[in-house]
Amino acid sequence: MIIDLQTPITEEAAASLRAGDKVSISGYIFCGRDAVLPKVIQLIHEGKADFLGLKGGVIFHTAVSPAGVGPTSSNKLEIESSIAPLSEYGVKLHLGKGQLHPETVAALAKYNAIYAVIPPVTALLGDKTLESELIAFPELGMEALYRLKVDRYPAVIAAAHGRSVYE
Amino acid sequence: MNKSHDEIKALVRDTLVRAGSTFRDDKKDAYRRAIAAETNENAKWVLETLLENAEAAEKNQSPLCDDTGIPHMLLEVGRNAVVSGDTLDAIYEGVREGLRKLPGRPMGIMGSDAQRIDQSGGLDPDSAGVEPAPILIRRCADDVLRLHILMFGGGPAIRARTYRVFHKHSVQTVLDEICAWAAEAVALLGCTPCTLAIGVGRSHFEASALMLQAQADGRYGVQSEIEAEITRRVNETDIGPLGLHGKTSVLATFMKVGPQRASGVRIVCLRPACCFEPRIATVEIN
Repeated sequence: MIIDLQTPITEEAAASLRAGDKVSISGYIFCGRDAVLPKVIQLIHEGKADFLGLKGGVIFHTAVSPAGVGPTSSNKLEIESSIAPLSEYGVKLHLGKGQLHPETVAALAKYNAIYAVIPPVTALLGDKTLESELIAFPELGMEALYRLKVDRYPAVIAAAHGRSVYE
Repeated sequence: MNKSHDEIKALVRDTLVRAGSTFRDDKKDAYRRAIAAETNENAKWVLETLLENAEAAEKNQSPLCDDTGIPHMLLEVGRNAVVSGDTLDAIYEGVREGLRKLPGRPMGIMGSDAQRIDQSGGLDPDSAGVEPAPILIRRCADDVLRLHILMFGGGPAIRARTYRVFHKHSVQTVLDEICAWAAEAVALLGCTPCTLAIGVGRSHFEASALMLQAQADGRYGVQSEIEAEITRRVNETDIGPLGLHGKTSVLATFMKVGPQRASGVRIVCLRPACCFEPRIATVEIN
């Protein structure tokens, strides 16, 4: 069974997901990776991030370029270290690939946030990406913060409520 | 008859696009075998989705993955084939055109040595700003000038390792070390199932060069005893496609063992090539 997830994701929807669930994500999602995520967290620390509309949102660990989109490794230092503070702020789903450390899985659970992995299927995701808009930090080029409108991105829940498929 | 500069350039351009967008037939067959053998529902779904993606990319001649990779080339030179400076210029121009046509991800970093290290010089917005790695050249038996183009992604580069192994006069010692490295690397890679590319040489350069040649020469339906053992042992780790468990963490192992020195040490280069790699296409350009 595939669970349909519409953004923004509610607390109840996040609470209902379990590691191993297959999901289909639709709506607006954000895209950011190594370069921009530390800058977003800095905005949060300065109390200047609300204009981004991240609460209840999805952050897809990807660049956005003419080549398309596809997950980069979420266990890269600057990406994985962003997951706890972004979850505390209100981001509900982190979308990427690769195994996370146990402390990150615990932080997700603390804030009722979820980690999902998405196959790196750039050719297929191209057909499911309806809109793309640069939101912040344009100087970072393809690594800037983007917002996409997507239709049924496929993913598997990899960590939820303290449980992980990597156990 | 020798091809002109422009003819070589066009061949290289189209070959690079093919490398970035198309699975070889033996790779498609390897995926079909893995799908048929997989019993884990999520793992089977990932394998089917990856193959579906490959079919879409081939049809559209579009990137398999958004990390379109760094071009690496192996040039095979036959007895009467001639490689001139102009030949190399045509190859490099073809690479630039191919990167624009694919399109490649514009991820070339600009600036001084220090700026290219800390990425403070900005990104080149041109896909062609991604410079290829140095070309590797080897002799071949056929009287041709044959170019293999491989697109190397960043994930495998993070997990790859080139290091010494004290063999203790036992091939099993080296295999044990390779399998231990591979299990760790494959678990962290994310984009599995992978293909393990391995070179065993006398120096770090030689081992890396052999690893690249292993990808050019390897075929999924042809596995040596050593390659089959490595694949089997890593698959026993139950990492699975996308790390979701299952039987297929590794589709195959491509290994090339070069000449060795009288010493207790072997230099091993292991690259856990991702689910799309080797992204390779080959063309004769003379």
